[in-house]
Amino acid sequence: MAISREAYRVLESIVGPEYISEDPVDRYAYRCGPGGYETDTGFGRFMTKIAGAIIMPKTTEEVQKIVKACNRYKVPYVPWSTGFFGPRSFPYVEDAIIVDLKRMDKLEIDDKHMYAIVEPGVIASQLQAEALKRGLYIVVGGGGSQVSIVANTLGDGWSPLSYKIGMIERRMLGMEWVLPDGEILRTGSLALQDDYFWGEGPGPDLRGICRGHNGVRGCLGITTRLALKLHPFQPEKLEPTGITPETGLALPPKRVKWINFTMPSKEAIVKAMYEMSKAEVGAAATKVPLFWRDIAKAQSKEDFWARWSKANEEIVKRFFVLRVLLVGYTSEEQMEYEERVLMDIVKELGGDARPTKPTDESWIKNADSAGMWLMTGAYMSVIYVWEALDHAKVQGENYAKLKAKYTPPLMPDYRDPGWFQLGEGGHQGYTEFLVYWDPDGPDEDTHKVDRYYIETMKDDIKNRSYPSLCGPQHPLYLSGPAYGPNYHIWMLKIKEELDPNKVCHPPVPLAQDKFVEQADWMKPVKDW
Amino acid sequence: MPQKKVKFDVTDIENFAYDMKRCIKCAGCKWVEHTYMPGINFSMRCPSAQKFLFDTYGAYGRVRTALSMLEGKVNYSDKFLDVVYKCQMCGACDVGCKRNLDLEIQLALEAIRVKCVADGKGPLPAHRKVAEKIGKTNNRFGSPHANRAKWLPADVKPAAKADIVYFVGCAASYTHPEIAKSTARILKAAGTPFMLLPDEWCCGNPLYTTGMIDEAKRVAEHNIEAIKKTGASTVLVSCAEGYRMLKVDYPKMFKMSTSDLGFKVVHLVEYVDELVKKGALKLQNKLDMRLTYHDSCNLARLSEPWVYWEGTHEQWGCVNPPLERRRGTYGIYQQPRDILSAIPGLKLVEMIRIKENTLCCGAGGGVRDAFKDFALWTANERLKEVREIGVEAIVSACPYCKDNFAEAIKINGDEIKVYDISELVWQAISK
Repeated sequence: MAISREAYRVLESIVGPEYISEDPVDRYAYRCGPGGYETDTGFGRFMTKIAGAIIMPKTTEEVQKIVKACNRYKVPYVPWSTGFFGPRSFPYVEDAIIVDLKRMDKLEIDDKHMYAIVEPGVIASQLQAEALKRGLYIVVGGGGSQVSIVANTLGDGWSPLSYKIGMIERRMLGMEWVLPDGEILRTGSLALQDDYFWGEGPGPDLRGICRGHNGVRGCLGITTRLALKLHPFQPEKLEPTGITPETGLALPPKRVKWINFTMPSKEAIVKAMYEMSKAEVGAAATKVPLFWRDIAKAQSKEDFWARWSKANEEIVKRFFVLRVLLVGYTSEEQMEYEERVLMDIVKELGGDARPTKPTDESWIKNADSAGMWLMTGAYMSVIYVWEALDHAKVQGENYAKLKAKYTPPLMPDYRDPGWFQLGEGGHQGYTEFLVYWDPDGPDEDTHKVDRYYIETMKDDIKNRSYPSLCGPQHPLYLSGPAYGPNYHIWMLKIKEELDPNKVCHPPVPLAQDKFVEQADWMKPVKDW
Repeated sequence: MPQKKVKFDVTDIENFAYDMKRCIKCAGCKWVEHTYMPGINFSMRCPSAQKFLFDTYGAYGRVRTALSMLEGKVNYSDKFLDVVYKCQMCGACDVGCKRNLDLEIQLALEAIRVKCVADGKGPLPAHRKVAEKIGKTNNRFGSPHANRAKWLPADVKPAAKADIVYFVGCAASYTHPEIAKSTARILKAAGTPFMLLPDEWCCGNPLYTTGMIDEAKRVAEHNIEAIKKTGASTVLVSCAEGYRMLKVDYPKMFKMSTSDLGFKVVHLVEYVDELVKKGALKLQNKLDMRLTYHDSCNLARLSEPWVYWEGTHEQWGCVNPPLERRRGTYGIYQQPRDILSAIPGLKLVEMIRIKENTLCCGAGGGVRDAFKDFALWTANERLKEVREIGVEAIVSACPYCKDNFAEAIKINGDEIKVYDISELVWQAISK
């Protein structure tokens, strides 16, 4: 135990003995894996360490004192809210403390000005439930309903609903932020007065370095509160129905509706998405991959495999399903109008509407990220790309081609090219490439998965794609020069400036670099 | 993965190593299912995670700690046992996990306790005292065995031979005779002859849930034999703990399925519901009351029939032969609601966390014996919900829920009344 007695006593005095522990039972309860997002990868196994202690502050003042104490005693610390972001949530060095923020669980909603102030312990479905009560809504990101809305916002919260209301990280307003050295920074309008209503000036707007695709995620201190813009939804209640595991929100048929379409080709899906954007209809649109359908229909893991084993490359190649959400935001007539326009678009492109359940199982309130583990027990998304829709379409095929070289150990997916969706009012398309493998297979299988991960990054550079998780998941010296060209230099200078003692989640933003350099099995792919 | 033989046998924790390893920490075990998520309040269904905050006290933490122990990284300690036993074993985690995944979390938690006992580290002293009482007097309270049928009112005469045997249970026999009396009178009013076991013992729930499987098997063997001797085809139970014990844990302990027991186990609410729907029991008396129904974990999400399984874990974690998971889908949820809704004048108002999302009353899994403060804290969390919906009473179908709520209410000085459903049914039919 290397956290000095003096440092521990100081930390203990900040939160009280009830809210700090260095007992091995607690420390191992916070271990990374063996299951979870990306935790079964070599990165998770190689990089993560057991925390030296766990501490749970309740207020910003306590967070500030903890951070200052960590700087004083050179104790590395890792901010932690719901801990779902796989190994990226865990310490990479011995004797770090995890600052578990779940006691910070306040949520306030300003109905009139339509924004919410949230603390890191608030999860996405809690906020969405409160917003829906007020006729408002927000994007529940693909990370899942169970993730911290603060962490997910700072990270990369999006879903098909981002078509209409954009990525959640764009909706950040004022923010309270304990910098890595313990200084408190309030951004946007909050910097000037006790008011979160605006994210840009007149106060400082440093959101670009702490949020989203490119921010130095998790190593620039701790966000303790932030405000999020909420958007008008429609007034009717979405009633929860069913019993586990078959539950869903019953949708008011004249105000909210999902429609699935079979389309003749991927090009037709893309074209339909473009036409929807031009006509400004729809609230969400996504291309559904075949295995999602099988997950949704499967009664168990074995049932999934019974279904999936009937698929083949030809079926996957010809599976073109477009799923669209319509919302009558202002009136029933609006939805009627949008539906007519949508039907015209689809008809012109040779598509057909299919019978679709009048319920929402995923995206409006529940985002079932956990279901992604059903198939094999291990899952990660190797890439998230926000680009033009055409790019999203092509990039999935590139990844699939590359993936074929790594299958097995990756799950046989018959060259499924991933999924994509419409985003940002149609100005962008998003593609995500998911991989699955058997985490209980031999280590060499996992090593191949690790290498494939890096190869996809190189593929992005080669194809001039725009990866979304450059900050936390790419080797900075691989993607940085291609990204910037000075992206990596800026990131490191920002880190050095704000975290001079390098105590906030070291060695981020160089964790992935360190892994590639030090893990033997990564040598074959390290060519930069 | 290489094939690995496994069976649903909680005496070997290795049978559930896969389930523990493949927990992804999505915390579905802790939160109310997100479709039903009510908002910032009443959003959790795991009392332990809500009260003790550290991840250690959620199922995701417990399985990680237990795995670490199996790997030799964590040793038995007071803290370890604290974590293992500060849990009502209410099944919230299990159904939450199985909303999306096929992991046997409840069985893993049971296996951890069984291992603690097998290794001579568990259960806790308070649990041992209960076990001693059961060993000496065949009931958990240490009351004289001879008094077990003392509750029987003069106006009810059990049959010497009948197709139904009423398994009364310790609580209704000794501390809540009103439940036993009401149940017996309901059966009489319905014209249902019933027997009592000549020598009923504790069902064994306090033993099994705390990991004392050998002791639990001893009482189970006795009760199964006693039931079989009566020749009855049906065992009727008015206690949720007893119901689950007989229906689920007895076959589980003896590596058979519920259907192999040789008798059917029904809870009073199932029986009454059927009688009411057939018109054989008239709920005629008006009960002017606005109340809510509390789903007892053992009657609700934990009550699906047990099907013994053994086979192999194979590639991708698939099991062979396939099995139907107990996901809490077919718990006894609707019958008590239908009964209460059929009582004239009675207004049933639902709480926020209901059915598979119910919050445990706090008493189960040995918590009330070893951590009474935690048990009462949990009851109070539930009572906050009762106050939120503005009802005058809470009704459940388990004496231990009634007991725990009643004590919390007494301490708080609340006006809320607590009933067992048998009492209300009896009030609605009595002349």
